[in-house]
Order: sequence, then C-alpha cells, then structure tokens
Amino acid sequence: MASDTLLARITDYANRPDPYPLYAELREAGPAVRQADGSYLIGTYHEIVALLHDPRMSADPRSRTTPAPYNVTRQPPFLRLDDPEHHRLRNSAMRPFGPPHSPGRVDSMRGEIVQLTKELAEVFQEGRQIDVVDDFAYPLPVTVICRLLGIPHKDEQLFQGWTDILVAAADIGPESDTADREQAADQARQEMGQYLVQLGEQRRGRPTGDMLSDLVNEPDAAVRLSTEDLAINTILLFIAGHETTVNLVTNGVLTLLRQPDQLHRLREDPGLLPRAVEELLRYEPPVHMRERVPLVDIDVAGTTIPGGTSVILALASGSRDPLRFSEPDRFDPTRPDNQHVGFGSGIHLCFGAPVARIEAEAALGALIPHLDTARLLQDPPPYRQNAMLRGPRHLPIQL
Amino acid sequence: MQTVVDLTRCQGYAQCVFLAPEVFELHGEEGLLYATAVPEDQVERVRQAAAACPVQAILLGEGVSAGAR
Ligand code: HEM
Ligand code: HEM
Ligand code: SF4
Repeated sequence: MASDTLLARITDYANRPDPYPLYAELREAGPAVRQADGSYLIGTYHEIVALLHDPRMSADPRSRTTPAPYNVTRQPPFLRLDDPEHHRLRNSAMRPFGPPHSPGRVDSMRGEIVQLTKELAEVFQEGRQIDVVDDFAYPLPVTVICRLLGIPHKDEQLFQGWTDILVAAADIGPESDTADREQAADQARQEMGQYLVQLGEQRRGRPTGDMLSDLVNEPDAAVRLSTEDLAINTILLFIAGHETTVNLVTNGVLTLLRQPDQLHRLREDPGLLPRAVEELLRYEPPVHMRERVPLVDIDVAGTTIPGGTSVILALASGSRDPLRFSEPDRFDPTRPDNQHVGFGSGIHLCFGAPVARIEAEAALGALIPHLDTARLLQDPPPYRQNAMLRGPRHLPIQL
Repeated sequence: MQTVVDLTRCQGYAQCVFLAPEVFELHGEEGLLYATAVPEDQVERVRQAAAACPVQAILLGEGVSAGAR
C-alpha cells in the first residue's frame, strides 16, 4: 500500500491491537515519510533521537501551519512549550520534586507506593474475574500524585473525577461529538486549578512538607510560579502521569500473560523487575507518537521538511528499529543494551519517569505472585481510541 | 559492589539520583558525584539506577572501571 497513507492506517482503530507491522513498513519507506495531508512521519531510531535533541524542532503546536494551524488559545503546559519558557517552568516544577534541590522526595515515597499497590492487589483472589484496568491500574497514578503534592486523602476522589473527565476528552475517536466533552474538560480544568490554588494559599507560610507547599513557598522570587502557572503545571502532572502509567502496568500484565515463560522467570527472580520495566517501555510503550514542528526548513536523511510542518515521531517504532536493537520484536527483560525512547529524549525527557518506574515496579511486583494460574479472557483486549497514547481500555482476566 | 559512571556518556539526566540518592548526587545542575563503593543496603537501588540510566552510563560489578568497555 502507498506509504503516504501510513499515518491514516496507524491511527485506524482496526490496527490498534498490532501497529508493529505498520511501523516496520514505515521504517522501510523512511526515514522521513510524507503523508497525504502534508505532514511527515518518522519511525527510525537514530533520526527520532536526533530530532528530539534538535533545537530547531518546536514542541509548541502553535508553531504549526501544515496540515492545519493549531486553534486552541489556552496556554499550553511546558510539555508543549519551547525553551526558554519550557526550561523556566520545568525547572520551577523540578525544584520541589527532584535533584539537586529535593533528591529524596520521590525515593521517600517508595514505601507508600508499594503499600498502595499491595492494597489494590487485594482484589486478585483465586477464582475471580478482574479487569486489570478498572480494578487495579486506574486509581494508582492519581493517588500517587495526590500524595506527592500533599492533597488531603479525603479529596483524592475529587481528583480521580477531574482526571477522568480530562482524560476522556483526550481519548476522542474520529466520529464522536467533541463539543460536550470539551466543555466538561474546561470545567474540570477550572475546578481543579481553583482547588490547587486555594490549597496552595493555605500552605503559603505554613508548609506541610509536600511538593505543593514547596512550590508556593519557593524563596527565590525568580523561580516561584505565578498562580496561573501553578495551576497549569500541576494539572500537567495529573494528566501526563495518568494514562501513561495505566497503560504501562496493563501492557505489562498483558505481555507477561502472553509469555508465561517470562512471567515465571520474573516470579523466580524479582530482581529482574527494574529491567523488565525498561524492556516494557521499549517493547510495549504507552506513548507511541509525539509531534514536533520544525521552525525552519530542515533536512532529514536527504528529505527536506518545510518549516511549520507537522512531524510525527513514532517513538514506539524507533524502540523496535532493528538498526538499533538486536531482535527488536523479542521481549527480553535481560536485554543488555536498552536505550529505548519510551520516555522520550532530550529536553522534554519525561519529568515523571522516576515516579513512573517506581509505580510500575511496585504494581507488577504486587501482581506477579497472583498471576500463576491467570489467563486472558479476551486477546487482543479492547483498546482505547487514542493511537498515540495506546493501551487497553479493559483487560479482563480469570484468576 | 562497586560502581563507576562513565562520565563521557553521562548526560546529567539524574535518573540515578532519583533512585539512589544516597549513592548519586547532583552537584549544581549538571555535575554528577557518586560513591564508588556501594554500601550493602544500597545495592538494590543502584541496580535500579543502572537500569534506568537513559544512556546506560552506570557500570556495576566487582572491580569495574570506566575503561572496562
Ligand atoms: C509509564 C509512564 C509514563 C510514560 C511512558 C511517559 C512518557 C513520556 C514521554 C514520552 C514524554 C515526552 C513527551 C515529548 O517529548 O513530547 C513525557 C513527558 C512528560 N511526562 Fe511522562 N510518562 C510517564 C509517566 C509520567 C508521570 C507519572 C508523570 C508525572 C508525575 C509524568 C510527567 C511528564 C511531564 C510533566 C512531561 C513533560 C516534560 C517536558 O516537557 O519537559 N509522566 N512523558
Ligand atoms: C501522544 C499522544 C497524545 C495525544 C494524541 C494526546 C491528546 C490529547 C488531547 C486531545 C488532549 C485534550 C485537548 C486539549 O487539552 O487540547 C490532551 C490534553 C493533554 N495531554 Fe495529551 N495526548 C497525548 C500524549 C500526552 C502525553 C505523553 C502527555 C504527557 C506526558 C500528555 C499530557 C497532556 C496534558 C498535560 C494535557 C492538557 C490537559 C488540560 O489542561 O486539558 N499527553 N492530550
Ligand atoms: S542517570 Fe545516567 S545520565 Fe543520568 S545522571 Fe545518572 S549516570 Fe548520568
């Protein structure tokens, strides 16, 4: 089939269960493959990494003119901003989160995350039918980010509700009516923002040892966030950490139930878990594609891509590029050389990766002992609409 | 156990500092400091850090050195 229909075929819902043969076709046709609508698709590892590190590539959708200009007026979160603005906001968010200023914060949550996954795993009882998504993976990321920020436990349900609405607005199929969901999302965004700003106000001058307190009590006025930025960037943590983590945990269970020998291996040797999580990020990553826009005309392996053109980087294809990884279609938790792009690369490298790793490790660690006799009730499972943030909507299993 | 970070590969992503803050330390925004002799109770964390380093710059073992590759 024509290579200029690849993006249309990849996003076609019928191909959600197995897009990997299309990625192989993309790499064959590439590196830079023009699509019928004028955008470009890139699926080879070295080109993807080079572009993620190229300062001429904008992450801001407002830089785009082809195929269509971006028409949302709301200010994007730092995920979709360029330096220096991106750096300013990411740096302000990083201070209370990680090194060099707060090296112990994420690590100190490990025990709590392990405890949380153990509690969630209590539904995994012999003889029961479980949906790994709704019954286990779904509540985890929002709870963890609430604890990180210092949201009172009694209000965690509020955040689950708001995040649900925002995530649903982002998972729209081609045929659905988006106006209602967009309106609901706007309202959720406002309520969540207001809540965070109010709680922040209460903690100004009265810190309670959490990330939100540190954010509002930042002594250096030059890095302290404005109220608006505080809201936008904390909402970013909820959304960015949600479906991604759910998909990683669910893809992990799916992969292990499809490959019982690997399940047994991890059951015997739990020390392999950190590397198994990395291999999952390569083999069945939650984030399949990200968009960038060249600010000027650029050359990619002999193809000129005009400035302003949408360029879709197929990270999931790059992580299975045989020019970079040996036997890329094999799931191997002991793979020695695993520099995947599951968390991206360059200045937008996933901010939450250290938390996500602990969540995935704890979640799989809590589940694996219960999976010995488990089997998939539906294979392939039903997937979400979204092709770029890909994962099962449900994963029913019989224990 | 000993650890060595190949500082010519290290990009200062600090993923290791998140996972084993008692062994790896970020000095300023970029410079990485680390303890070459890994205390017994930190071995598991250092393994996690090595797996998580995006450029696979952390070498582990008995008697490793940065020239070992
Ligand atoms: C398995 C789970 C996760 C995966 C696979 C994942 C993946 C990614 C990827 C691929 C990017 C780069 C986007 C780009 O280059 O355009 C990214 C950025 C980001 N992630 Fe994650 N993520 C995960 C979990 C999390 C969590 C738990 C949080 C929050 C605590 C988070 C917060 C962010 C933020 C804030 C950014 C933007 C960074 C920037 O623009 O500088 N992520 N993530
Ligand atoms: C790669 C495929 C992805 C697609 C197709 C996608 C799609 C969407 C859509 C349609 C929306 C809602 C509409 C809007 O606010 O403009 C949205 C919002 C958002 N997404 Fe994604 N998303 C993807 C990946 C990610 C990743 C990897 C992250 C973070 C690492 C992320 C973070 C966010 C954030 C922060 C919002 C804004 C929430 C808000 O204020 O409404 N997304 N996304
Ligand atoms: S994780 Fe790797 S690249 Fe990042 S600071 Fe540590 S050693 Fe350097």
